[in-house]
Amino acid sequence: MNSIQDRRQEYRSLFKQNVAKRLLVDKSVRIIVFSCVIIAIIPLGSILVEVFKNGLTAISIEFLTETPGSVGSGEGGIGPAIQGTLIIVGLSSMIGVPIGVMSGIFLSEYGDNALARFVRFFNDVFMEFPSILLGIFAFLIIVLVLGHFSVWAGAFALSLIMFPIVARTTEESLKMVPMTYREAGTALGLKKWVITFRIVISAAKSGMITGILLSVSRIGGETAPLIMTILGSSQFFSSMDTPMDALPLRIWRLSLLPYDSAQLQGWGAALVLIMIIIGINLGIKYYFMNKKNGFFGQLIKQRRNATK
Amino acid sequence: MTALTTKPTSMDASPEFSSTLDTSKYKMIAENVTVSYGGIDAVKNVTMKFKEKSVTALIGPSGCGKTTFLRCLNRMHDMTKNAKVTGKVMIDDIDLYSKEIDPIYHRRKVGMVFQKPNPFPTMSVYDNVTAGLRLNGVRDKKILDEIVEDSLKMAYLWDEVKNDLKKSAIELSGGQQQRLCIARALAIQPEVLLMDEPASALDPIATQKIEETIIELKNDYTIIIVTHNMQQAIRVSDYTGFMYLGDLIEFRETKKLFTDPKDELTAKYVQGHFG
Amino acid sequence: MTRLIDPSLHKLSFIMSEMGDMVIESISLAIDSYLTGTNTKDKVLKLSDSIRAKYFEVEDLTFDMLLKYQPVADDFRLIRSSTEISYAFSRFGRYAYDITLVRDLFGDVSECTNASLVESTKKVKHMIKAAVLSFAELDVRKAVEIHEDEKYIDRIYRERLPELIESTNTRCALAEALLLRYLERIGDHAVFMSDAINYIVTGKHRPSEERIASHTKTEN
Repeated sequence: MNSIQDRRQEYRSLFKQNVAKRLLVDKSVRIIVFSCVIIAIIPLGSILVEVFKNGLTAISIEFLTETPGSVGSGEGGIGPAIQGTLIIVGLSSMIGVPIGVMSGIFLSEYGDNALARFVRFFNDVFMEFPSILLGIFAFLIIVLVLGHFSVWAGAFALSLIMFPIVARTTEESLKMVPMTYREAGTALGLKKWVITFRIVISAAKSGMITGILLSVSRIGGETAPLIMTILGSSQFFSSMDTPMDALPLRIWRLSLLPYDSAQLQGWGAALVLIMIIIGINLGIKYYFMNKKNGFFGQLIKQRRNATK
Repeated sequence: MTALTTKPTSMDASPEFSSTLDTSKYKMIAENVTVSYGGIDAVKNVTMKFKEKSVTALIGPSGCGKTTFLRCLNRMHDMTKNAKVTGKVMIDDIDLYSKEIDPIYHRRKVGMVFQKPNPFPTMSVYDNVTAGLRLNGVRDKKILDEIVEDSLKMAYLWDEVKNDLKKSAIELSGGQQQRLCIARALAIQPEVLLMDEPASALDPIATQKIEETIIELKNDYTIIIVTHNMQQAIRVSDYTGFMYLGDLIEFRETKKLFTDPKDELTAKYVQGHFG
Repeated sequence: MTRLIDPSLHKLSFIMSEMGDMVIESISLAIDSYLTGTNTKDKVLKLSDSIRAKYFEVEDLTFDMLLKYQPVADDFRLIRSSTEISYAFSRFGRYAYDITLVRDLFGDVSECTNASLVESTKKVKHMIKAAVLSFAELDVRKAVEIHEDEKYIDRIYRERLPELIESTNTRCALAEALLLRYLERIGDHAVFMSDAINYIVTGKHRPSEERIASHTKTEN
């Protein structure tokens, strides 16, 4: 009996010696981690601050709705650019999201074969492609073939950027849905596509939405592909076969001009772009997270009930 | 002098299926079922017959093949890669594995409840119960309402949820969720109910409710339950099958198997000498 | 692998074996006191009380095991029969004491001894030994011997009683009647005990119940 007591004392004394040191290490790691986060956020935060600071004064109704005035005059606005960004983002999403989601579903639910492995690999490579290359590709196969810059080409290029991201995030979200729900569906005698679309997807909705929003945010700011496909313009949208303006293009053009007024408009346009992206993100997240049938909305409710 | 120095002699241990006095027929017969995963046999040539409106328990140590066997009875292994199933599983003289029949249609005659309660998380209580029907095209609200009430009553959950059927399924407690899963399985009007350790994830009170439910359901359904809990097997089942390493070692009336097992391996297992 | 229930089972086994030894001793002493006239009342009383105390111990242990371990199969049958058998042991102890009381009450009745009495008492001693051994070794073949002995004792009982009614020596007749009665009861319990042992080994219930019940009905 005594030997156990003695051993205990011995081991305990070891702990006591370590404690002070370990607390110190703990604290310093915390400080390091925290400071890294701060260091990472500071540039991002300061960008936001700069944009707000410099661009706020440019905002006005005319700024948001009028076409650009003559170069250097400081008049006019970025109306066409705003419209263009909304159109190109919407159009690209209409192409890229369904294809991406379908691929994601294929990879997750029907993806235990060689074809799927190839597709997945190809997808991952594609995600890393420099966007300018995709722009050039769209230029070659649409703009050169048709003979003019067009909105089609721009939507095509941006959807190429979009779809691998959507496919990947969809696949990952679906994979996170536990197998047991699919088994329950099978046991109820449901067909596989019914299980996938009516049960699994609704459970994976939140992750999929996040993935889609990610890709929307990404293409909202792409500039290089747009240069090669929609070119930019000073007019509002007229037809699908003509060039169109978009915010990244407008910002780029304005920032290259030597006039102060142009610079100011550039900052304003940047602010508008950021606000649009943030707005889309918050709006859709809020809508889906709080909707009663969302998976994570449910989990939040459950936790709230449990802690009552 | 010490007592119990000799072991009881092992008499005929072959599975007995019929008693001359019992004339009720067999609802489900599994014949020469073998399941192999990549060359290894998880279930070895097992034959079992299940009387209608009875409860049969399958017991055995982990890995003995009882869950694998259970999943053959509603063709769940169709979903598993590399699983090869041979043999017949007959419900009322129709072989579920025959090439001529539509497996999805016949699979609905057999309902299944899983070990961890798994109500569909994005659906309400009402939608969960009707999932097997709605998602197969049944739309008539009146019929659905009736079935929801019937199924929830049979699962002993109706009183607890009737005032708020639109409540989300995952807001229920574990025991209630499991009874919801039972109701969901019953809603598709099966004839046989398979249960894979239905109470193992639940607390003792919830377990008790599940067992009471099983005993009530016995009046209308044929139930096959896999369980690790021998006392549960004794409490709820009429017949018990003991499996070990893929073989069916003994299959008899529950009381007899647990008071006077014929096979020595069975006696060792039920008395806790291994497993 | 030692299971949780094993220490309790060993304890049960130990208590039962002690009871068995005490039963053999008390019956021998009792019978000898009758046949030879020695006074063994106090000794046998102590043994009988010990056996009774151990019977209660077995009861407690049995219910404790049922509560804690929910035994099945062999364990279950052993425990179930142990209640029956320990009760039989307690009866044996009690009847042994009753027999010594006869000698106490009637004084030395050794001269009342006759051949059939000697034979019966020999059979009882044999039967008790067979019963205790049968339980210790779970040997059901000894049941045959026990049943044979019991039949003999029964026969003597039924034959002698009418004879004793006609006897002129009241003292001897009464003493012998009492003794035969106790021997007959010991025989019945020995048979119940062998049934209980049979249940442990074969799982079959009460094969002798009918027979014993029927012959208690013919007495009136």
